Amino acid sequence: MTVKAETSREFPITMTLTRRGFVKIGGALFVSLYLPGQGSATRAAKNETSLDPSQLASWLEIRDDNTILMRTGRTETGTGMSGYYAQAIAEELNVRPETISLLMGDTDKTPDGGYSAGFLTGMSNVRKVSAYTYQALLGLAATQLGVPVSGLSVVDGIVSGEGRSISYGQLVQGQHLDLKIPVTGQPAKSDPAGWVGITSLDGFTVTGDPPMKPVSQFRIIGTSYPIPSIPDKVTGKTQWSCDVTLPGMLHARMVRPATLGSTLISVGEVDKKQFPTAEVVKKGNLVAVVSPDEWEAIAAARSVAASAKWTEWTGLPGSENLTKALREFKWGAPSESKGKAADVIAALANASKTISASYEQPYVRHAPIGPFVALADVRSDGSVTVWTHSAQSQGLRARIANALSTPVEKVVVRWLEHSGQYGRTTLGGDGAEGDAAILSQLTGKPVRVQWTLQEDLAWSTVSPGWVSDIKASVENGRVTAVHSAFYSPHMFDPRPLGTLLAGMPSSTSKPGGWIATEWPYDKIPNRLEEAYGMPNLGAESVSGGLRGNIMRTPGQRQQNFALEGLINEAAALAKTDPIQFRIDHTTEQRLIDLLNATAKAAGWGPRPSPHRGARRTGNRAVTGRGVSIMVRQNAYWVGIAEVAVVPATGAVRVTKFTIGADCGKIINPRQLDRCMKSGVVMGLSEALKEEVTFDNGKVTSTNWNRYKILTMEEMPEIKVVQISRDDKGFGGCSEAANAIGPPAVAAAFFDATGIHARKIPLTSAYVTTLLRS
Amino acid sequence: MAEEITLSVNGTKRVVSSALETPLLFVLRNELKLTGPRLGCGMAQCGACSVLLDREEVRSCITPVSYAVGKQVTTIEGLPSVWAAEKGLSEADAAKTLHPIQQAWIDEQVPQCGYCQSGMMIAAVQLLAKNPKPSVAQIKDAFTNTPPSPHLCRCGTYAAIIDAVQRAAKVMRA
Repeated sequence: MTVKAETSREFPITMTLTRRGFVKIGGALFVSLYLPGQGSATRAAKNETSLDPSQLASWLEIRDDNTILMRTGRTETGTGMSGYYAQAIAEELNVRPETISLLMGDTDKTPDGGYSAGFLTGMSNVRKVSAYTYQALLGLAATQLGVPVSGLSVVDGIVSGEGRSISYGQLVQGQHLDLKIPVTGQPAKSDPAGWVGITSLDGFTVTGDPPMKPVSQFRIIGTSYPIPSIPDKVTGKTQWSCDVTLPGMLHARMVRPATLGSTLISVGEVDKKQFPTAEVVKKGNLVAVVSPDEWEAIAAARSVAASAKWTEWTGLPGSENLTKALREFKWGAPSESKGKAADVIAALANASKTISASYEQPYVRHAPIGPFVALADVRSDGSVTVWTHSAQSQGLRARIANALSTPVEKVVVRWLEHSGQYGRTTLGGDGAEGDAAILSQLTGKPVRVQWTLQEDLAWSTVSPGWVSDIKASVENGRVTAVHSAFYSPHMFDPRPLGTLLAGMPSSTSKPGGWIATEWPYDKIPNRLEEAYGMPNLGAESVSGGLRGNIMRTPGQRQQNFALEGLINEAAALAKTDPIQFRIDHTTEQRLIDLLNATAKAAGWGPRPSPHRGARRTGNRAVTGRGVSIMVRQNAYWVGIAEVAVVPATGAVRVTKFTIGADCGKIINPRQLDRCMKSGVVMGLSEALKEEVTFDNGKVTSTNWNRYKILTMEEMPEIKVVQISRDDKGFGGCSEAANAIGPPAVAAAFFDATGIHARKIPLTSAYVTTLLRS
Repeated sequence: MAEEITLSVNGTKRVVSSALETPLLFVLRNELKLTGPRLGCGMAQCGACSVLLDREEVRSCITPVSYAVGKQVTTIEGLPSVWAAEKGLSEADAAKTLHPIQQAWIDEQVPQCGYCQSGMMIAAVQLLAKNPKPSVAQIKDAFTNTPPSPHLCRCGTYAAIIDAVQRAAKVMRA
């Protein structure tokens, strides 16, 4: 039978609520998705999502014990998404968030695909799924209570009207109800010849416009609901992806080539007297040592690595020659271009004052504290199960199927939490999963591959180095035109390393540039932005070379450093306070309000940079302050850095950082505070310390003494300013705080010394050279 | 060659079969299924694997299991009972009471990915045992300059850690 939801007449949707039958024990309302005009997506996509037919592909389950289960392919990356989703569901359904549990990322148990980077689209889905369900529950309650929907109210999952009440649990008790809601899209698919190797990153998207709770009535969104996974993480109960074991499982340690381009000449066997249960496994240039005992695998792999022979290869320019190598490349036409070239060229040619500057940064990397790990079980029946902490389970599944030439419906990806990775697996690749799947196929046993830190810092994907040439014309204290040209090896090559070294099918690396900036200065009349792409450095090699990948606030992080650097230079040229100068170039009131609020919190007094005591010599510290802004995903950012520089030694210390954000309606103020502060830490780490170094064949920054990141002692006092707005929707605020630090620090360095720092990191070696030049 | 080794872990005698040079980390994780300590750098540069040996922090990734024989090994799984013993809590109270450092980590919502936080809490236990009322500068110093290496957090939760250490210190002094 079909229960007509009474409210369905009030809004144009096509959800249907069906009673499948009655059950003796339990009872639940299952919310599943369907593609309008194509029947049930559950059925249509059955092969795609590999769902157990006995388990509905439900997104949401309202159970008779008044608990709610949400199943989503999107995953927690440490920025609190699991908490925000629970808040959003609770808000729309009028239940307590504690009653909600989330099942995330398992491709055989979640229907929607999607990825962690798509927070805003994920949030929209979650809210709409809940809103549809709420309408269905109201319809059921209206029938049960004999009260029209208009006379019902819901508090904490209890529907009341005309003196009668019933809980959601009671509404579904003894029944098996199906609610189908309309969606578009598909799970991520393999696309070997495409831009990143997979398509449909966002998975399914809910369509229609169910009535949603107005922001003014929010009771749970806007509160600091604690993240549900934290207690288990703190007590040691969490099962991380590195904790999964299977009967008969082998531990593997990889024996990597001598350089990024070396091929295998010979590898010996393990010394069975010393390592009785270890074995060498190889395919092409993929070499591993496996053992039932992890320590034996480690020790035997070291021994095997010491005697393995590889060809020589010198296809990298060496990190000290990076700028030269980028400058010498024949870039051709830009991959992407925005703006009016003729107007910008004319404005620059006719201006009384112009600025021309080049900004740059070396390679940096995600550098998780926990090196990558994966477990794969490839069975003789062709089924493949992979345990991972990838942020794009469906995309990884498609890549694994492609690599093993296996139908995708044979592959299941199970997700668990692990070390943060900051965008490295957003595109479903890069990690130990390729290694694990190949080794499991070769050995016929479940294989757990644990990368070492050295391996992770040498062989994982990287955020490529770049240079940016940027010009501006300045007339009467205003910027009249900006021309930026961003040059970088591309950042879209997340191919799993194991598939490349083993010579298995993978996607094609597609070089290309990308303009990521959201333009904040609408009062600058003319602009031209260009992005140029090139292949990976060392692309012509068995490993693909230094595989570029996206990393936290990708593209915009780099391009904003150049743009904000230019704006600071223009403000100095115009002898105008850099905050006032920014206000003069935008009409965006949210940005102006945030600049004023953050300036006030920082105790900023208006004056131009550099300050009068600026110095480039001496043993005593000089101090300075600087500002940067950014607009991204319906969020506005302001950073104010205060630094102390000792010119004689080149030591730069950030003494205080004030960060402001307006991301529309704030979902969880405490978590936003945490994300803002931790983002500042990562940004300052990039501003002061981080650089991937490499010689002619391999990465050399392969431990924490060589790839330096910010320590607790180097963290300054951090002040946070938040502006929440009820009328601007939601903005993406989890990741972007890292991008605001480097340009503010560079501006503060100029304020202190009178010298523009156009390159990060501001190491003492670079700073002393810069100040003496 | 594997040998039978008797350890005292979180107040309980445990017999394991392991080569004497095996790092304690792998014995705790693979044989005893104590997954609180985690593999980070594997060379004592990050602190993700930290445990207490007789109340002193060690990096279990480079500490041979033989070195732990005759000593008390404490992981985050054992911190509640350490606190219960210190406070003389009844069995019923002990069952529902976390170590104040763990509670502070929850109350201050410290973990983001959380991978390093087991080691961070162990470092906090050690710090507060030596200095019950540390200043912000002393907390930063302890987490950065205590040998063999700084405790590293890539998510950047240092500010939250400082808040949590100070919160826990207050509870533990009370």
